[in-house]
Amino acid sequence: MIQFTSHSTAQTEAFAARIAQKLRAGDVIACRGGMGAGKTAFARGLARGLGLADDVSSPTFALVHEYTRGELALYHFDMYRVSDFDELYSTGFFDYLGQDGVLFIEWSENITSALPEHTILLTISPTGEDTRDIRIEGDERF
Amino acid sequence: MKILAMDTSSLSASCALLEEDVVLGECFANVKLTHSQTIMPMVQSLLSQTRIPLEAVDLFAVTDGPGSFTGLRIGLSAVKGMAHALGRRCIGVSTLEALAYQYRGVDCVVAPVLDARCSQVYTALFRWNGNQLTRLEKDSAIPIAQLEKWLKNAGEPVFLVGDGAKLCYNSMKERVPGIRLASPALQFVRASSVALAALPDIANAVEPSALVPAYLRLPQAERELLAKQKISGDGK
Repeated sequence: MIQFTSHSTAQTEAFAARIAQKLRAGDVIACRGGMGAGKTAFARGLARGLGLADDVSSPTFALVHEYTRGELALYHFDMYRVSDFDELYSTGFFDYLGQDGVLFIEWSENITSALPEHTILLTISPTGEDTRDIRIEGDERF
Repeated sequence: MKILAMDTSSLSASCALLEEDVVLGECFANVKLTHSQTIMPMVQSLLSQTRIPLEAVDLFAVTDGPGSFTGLRIGLSAVKGMAHALGRRCIGVSTLEALAYQYRGVDCVVAPVLDARCSQVYTALFRWNGNQLTRLEKDSAIPIAQLEKWLKNAGEPVFLVGDGAKLCYNSMKERVPGIRLASPALQFVRASSVALAALPDIANAVEPSALVPAYLRLPQAERELLAKQKISGDGK
């Protein structure tokens, strides 16, 4: 497990950019963390760390944003509004699983039983106004 | 009659051109790429290799489900677009029936299987007898465990074919000795089989606007499981 205490959005992004160096095609990162925890900041850091030139923003309405302007693509999901299996199917989530990119899933709590084996778990917990406890659990890389 | 058939419903993508039941040409790829990026160049290359212009195509056939949500929409949109522009009719073919057609000419029972993820499959059962295809089970979305029961009760060897065939074969072969895995050459949907499955149905060809994807609802228990896990509080 990797544990990190962030004191700002900038630190969260920088930490995520370092984590991105460990990622490879097919990785799925299931993120847990409430409103304002810094999930999108983490995604922005991942995209930067992967060398992607795309702008990163929360996919609340589109359900998924694709960042493909680089070597390894990042697919950024927001499952907040997904509440059953048919809805999950119609986000195209299962189709992205078969592709050569990294999946980053906000509100992964909503699709727990549909997460594949070897999913990397990311938990962001606020411990103060600007401080966050970030934990990453996965295989030997973490 | 020239038929252009296309399949992007599962892991692989393919297109084929047939003159009645003669396969004039076929393209196939199973390389994890987005079908939306590969299928049209594939059609273009098929037409140029067979030296047949798109305008010469009389009828379009396409797998209309079950399968991948994105994949089905890609195939149907592509066929609708071409058929609409040329004023031709279309035939939607069950992905599972197209897979069964890959065993045409072999007397056997076939279980086409597509991976629906989370230990679920899209499947059906067919029997070939001479050139007669009989459907034993309708297209269904069921847990792999239920398919195992179907296969155990089949009472004869069953051939597994489709992008979920290997997964099911490996998970069941110890307990269901009667199952056989399709050759890698037959394992994925070939568009030529889509066209062959469409042939008996030519009289029922429809306007492109009438083509719709046949998504299958995934098993109830799974859907409820997800709904229960919906997090509470924390309004957004």
